[in-house]
Amino acid sequence: MSLSDQLTAYLTRIWDKPVIVEGLSRIPGGASRETYRFDAVVDGARRGLILRRDPPGSLIDTDRRLEFLAYQSFFGRAPVPEPIALEEGGAELERPFFIMSRVDGGKAAGPFGANPYGEHAGAIGEQFFTALGAIAAADPATLPIAEAAEAPALDACWKRELDYWEGVINADELHPQPIVRAAMRRLRRNPPPPAVKLCVVHGDYRSGNFLHDEKGKMLTILDWEMAHLGDPLEDLGWATDPLWSHGETERVSGMLPLEEAFALWEAASGLKVDRKAFEWWSLFASVKGQAIWTSSAKEYRDGGLKDPVLGFSGWYTARRQDVILADRLARLEGAI
Amino acid sequence: MTPTVPELLLGNMLCLADPPPQESLGDFFASRVGITGMISMLCAQEAERGIEARVWENHAVREVLTTASLRYGADFAGVGGEDEGDLTLTSLDAENAALRRALTTLHIAAEDAGDRALHHEILRLYIQMADARRLDMPAAPAG
Repeated sequence: MSLSDQLTAYLTRIWDKPVIVEGLSRIPGGASRETYRFDAVVDGARRGLILRRDPPGSLIDTDRRLEFLAYQSFFGRAPVPEPIALEEGGAELERPFFIMSRVDGGKAAGPFGANPYGEHAGAIGEQFFTALGAIAAADPATLPIAEAAEAPALDACWKRELDYWEGVINADELHPQPIVRAAMRRLRRNPPPPAVKLCVVHGDYRSGNFLHDEKGKMLTILDWEMAHLGDPLEDLGWATDPLWSHGETERVSGMLPLEEAFALWEAASGLKVDRKAFEWWSLFASVKGQAIWTSSAKEYRDGGLKDPVLGFSGWYTARRQDVILADRLARLEGAI
Repeated sequence: MTPTVPELLLGNMLCLADPPPQESLGDFFASRVGITGMISMLCAQEAERGIEARVWENHAVREVLTTASLRYGADFAGVGGEDEGDLTLTSLDAENAALRRALTTLHIAAEDAGDRALHHEILRLYIQMADARRLDMPAAPAG
């Protein structure tokens, strides 16, 4: 039975109406989930949908329920697709999956292309950092994600994240990585102040993880698979990591100068950016990145070298991250 | 560093060898072909510079360890033996792993001892190590 047939059977069952699935097509990106676009025709009406299914192996182990609840939390509050159905057991599709509405007419920037937003970089940047501020402004206790997300104490946010990603490196490292090890020691020696507020953290909020219309409008924020509760500066540090700057040094995310990004985020979140805390979360972002690329390299080998995205991430991206980490670390320690 | 060039090139062949299911043709398969092309292009750089980078790094790390052994213990001087004789990637990487582990141990010892000079020297070495292994992506179109 083809995936299209399985999907037809599933939707027909849950909607209790005959459904025709048309145009099922896998789309690139989203290394931690298989992502497909398709149309569901029900009662003569056509609905554009996205299927996100767990792969046999993935870049990162993530909780699809948390991801689904994150979409539920922000649908209507921020530009995100409408979540439709979640099947943690896999139902007719063999592996866990969820379905959400599709936003058509948008484009996601590739991570390493130059100047992806062209003349619209400033406008996109305004929406990008304002939307991130709006996510930080939300009270997680009132959102669906609170059903499943652990709520750490304000002074424990940093340690929980660092412990987790250091654990990933310890488990998956195939070749010794002295640079990221030194960065992790520095982070532990110099902990940040407690989070000013417990917030929903997207976990992978960056250039490339949203769709824009190529005319200066941000359409939808994607890839919430690492969503959790924590310090809002975590997302800000990740979004502004030089890895996602498209080779630029003056504009973060290839969009805006850092101080402008801070101002937009502060206006939307109602919070202030503590520069020392941000410094910690910036270095942490590069550590987290290296942990993900380390995992990617291991998964590439374990999966029989068949997923080139994992190979590329575990090799090229890992080396770029090392360049960023080594430079940051030396500056923070006053070595250069 | 992992994965290796032989693994990546083998992987490029393997990931295109099996016919994809119908729903993975189109954009997904085109993207996959694009990534394998990019990997092949970067492998060409690694084939050109990878041996030299490893030989340089192993030598540089060995030198730091040997110099520091006067203060931190003779064991550091013996790590990795003499300069490289076997220039295969496998041999150089095995040597590199031992040297990197010893460098991390030495770095921790320097941090614990408050040895700021050595700490900074090692941090500057990290910059050179990362730079030597850097892969350069040619200017790509936006998107």
